[in-house]
Amino acid sequence: MTRALATAAIAVITAGGRADAGPLQLRGDALATTAAPAGLLTLEAHGEPGPGLSAEAVVWIASANDESRGDVLVIAVRARTAEGRASARIGRFVESLGALRPVHVDGAAVRVRLPHAFTVETYGGLPVLPGLATGRSWNWAAGGRVARTVGEAGSLGVAYAQQREHGRLTSEELGVDAGAALGRRDDIGARFAYDLANPGIAEVAVSASHRSGALRTELYLGHRAASHLLPATSLFSVLGDVPAQRGGVVATWRCAPRLDVIADLGARRVDRDVAPEATLRARLRLDDRGASALTAELRRDGVGDDTWTGARGSARIALPRQLAVTTELELVLADHDRGSGALWPWGLAALGWDDGTWQAAVAVEASASPQDRHRVDVLGQLGRRWDVR
Amino acid sequence: MKRRALIDGTAPPSGGADGQGRALAVVACLALTACAGVLGLTRSGPQPFPHRKHATAGITCTRCHVGIDGRGTPPAGSAPGGGRGVSDGVPATLHIPDDAACATCHGKPHNPGPCLTCHAAPGAIAELVEARAHLVFDHGKHAAPSRGDCMRCHVGIAEGDDHLRPPMATCFRCHDHDAARDARRCDACHRGLEDTGLLPQSHLAHDGDWLREHGTRAASSGDLCQSCHREQFCADCHGATVPALPATRRFSDPFAASVHRAGFAARHSLEARSAPGACTTCHAPDRCAACHTSRGIAGEGRRSPHPPGWVGPAAADNAHGRQARRDPAACASCHDGAGQSLCVSCHKVGGVGGSPHPTGWSSRLPLGALPCRLCHPTGKAL
Repeated sequence: MTRALATAAIAVITAGGRADAGPLQLRGDALATTAAPAGLLTLEAHGEPGPGLSAEAVVWIASANDESRGDVLVIAVRARTAEGRASARIGRFVESLGALRPVHVDGAAVRVRLPHAFTVETYGGLPVLPGLATGRSWNWAAGGRVARTVGEAGSLGVAYAQQREHGRLTSEELGVDAGAALGRRDDIGARFAYDLANPGIAEVAVSASHRSGALRTELYLGHRAASHLLPATSLFSVLGDVPAQRGGVVATWRCAPRLDVIADLGARRVDRDVAPEATLRARLRLDDRGASALTAELRRDGVGDDTWTGARGSARIALPRQLAVTTELELVLADHDRGSGALWPWGLAALGWDDGTWQAAVAVEASASPQDRHRVDVLGQLGRRWDVR
Repeated sequence: MKRRALIDGTAPPSGGADGQGRALAVVACLALTACAGVLGLTRSGPQPFPHRKHATAGITCTRCHVGIDGRGTPPAGSAPGGGRGVSDGVPATLHIPDDAACATCHGKPHNPGPCLTCHAAPGAIAELVEARAHLVFDHGKHAAPSRGDCMRCHVGIAEGDDHLRPPMATCFRCHDHDAARDARRCDACHRGLEDTGLLPQSHLAHDGDWLREHGTRAASSGDLCQSCHREQFCADCHGATVPALPATRRFSDPFAASVHRAGFAARHSLEARSAPGACTTCHAPDRCAACHTSRGIAGEGRRSPHPPGWVGPAAADNAHGRQARRDPAACASCHDGAGQSLCVSCHKVGGVGGSPHPTGWSSRLPLGALPCRLCHPTGKAL
């Protein structure tokens, strides 16, 4: 099936020739690193043979420890009617259906706008397994969503999806989503997912934001029950866990034309443990276009015995001849030493070159972590893009 | 001095606090003045073209931007001053005036170099070229309805010389694009949105912690996301066949958003335990074990990551039970599949672990199917 999809996608991508066809965009990237995977080659293609028709493909091959493997990330053809009333996708893509978790499928999806501001979307296919796996008998995923536009810029939707593996039910969820732009300055969004296989709330998230001049504030709340996110075929899905919650406020303030400050103040709750969390981040652009910039970040995170404090700084300095030097430093201090150290530094220094067609970069990464007392890696990347008419 | 005043019982000089405050204010002002250029409060390099100054002096836009209203493009020698009408190296379709056009009023240029070298914000021409490439727009068609008043759209001139490009809301004042907007047909005006790098400015602004926020917003606006983002954009993180972490693939961009940024490898266990289920929202449960095994951290012959006393009688400090309730996804990351038999050996009716279900547990799964049949081999409730 993947071979047939690839053939179809390539046919659409290369079906140029029409006057209104967009350029065929090709891109290749090679990444080499002393850490696994040792080598990675990624090839991308995107084309729009005509109005309302597009196709894209991303494939890769990696090599590490004398083993090579390759896979397809995306091969999809997308079509849309001229007035936008209906659209369809076929191939390998990520389907995100309202409040339900995204699923990577080999299949098809259709969206149709109906009278009275209703929209219906549905998908069906085989859940993607890594490694170009074949012989997936009775593995399938299917779902649908009905949504209705509310007012000028609001939407309310209900989604249902289920997945089966070898015919056995692994996931069955119901989701409700809502979103609206209230006036010119306010947005609100919410999603709610309910596990139907082992009845219980799987995930809830609410976000409300307000923009006032250079200041944007967002209030967020989240609730997640991990056992309801596991496949229903897992024994651990029947434990009936204690859900975790998180909430807080994020303020983004452009306090000067080139300086942004972001503050995130909130709290987490896991079981009986409650802990505050805070992030303060500043970004200073050193020129009007932001080609050179500095960031600094302080963070306090974690709950229970897993609390930690961190600081991070990064810089990108644009140099003549499309060169740029970047550096990034991070220091994490865990509150509890579990016998593998509590201070974990990480740093990266890179030199990049980008002339719009060619991109190249080389970097040195050094770190200490619970796994490695010290580690140094070298990374290199070379990429090129082509626009073919 | 202050200490002595306290010992003597006399009040400190009343001007002390005020003096300190004044000194701090002076230091803050000096620091702000010193950093004003860096913060963008003042400009030391090339300045944006002073459109506002020219407009308030009564100079019409088309006097310099000859032909932009569609009344013919400026042929060679027809522009003010007899020049070509457009600056060297700038596409003629942008109608950017050349030095000769400036010289019609500014008869004695203070510098022999091209005017726009200093009197144009860095990158302004490049932005115009990009806008022209990605926008379907004809100034000529707008000249008649606006009666030649360019500032009906370019209202930003009243506030200064930056941000002269009108926001999209300005278009909607006259154009009814409701149907196109509802159908997400952005290509009526925008070409190749995926390549422009434009971000929403008013609603759904990608500010703050957008990485966390995007899931909630995309739930009800998925079709809107697709108007700018290609399939690859979602698959880069949510795909089951991701070739490498996005942070690794874009290692030379320290500002790219990613949950796996920087020293994530060191702190990932802390983050995972603090947000039960967060990893499961993208990764398959066995992802942890697969990665740990391939890196030689877990697997046969490796030390158990659990502390002493991890499994014990219910009356003792039964840490594993508490952790399993707290984050069953963490247990599943290693013990799912064949490892489940380890749990079932104790957690069965009559076993030392008792029933793993909490009070009030219910399920719609048939008892004869997995995982129920591990404990309910007869397909009946025990």
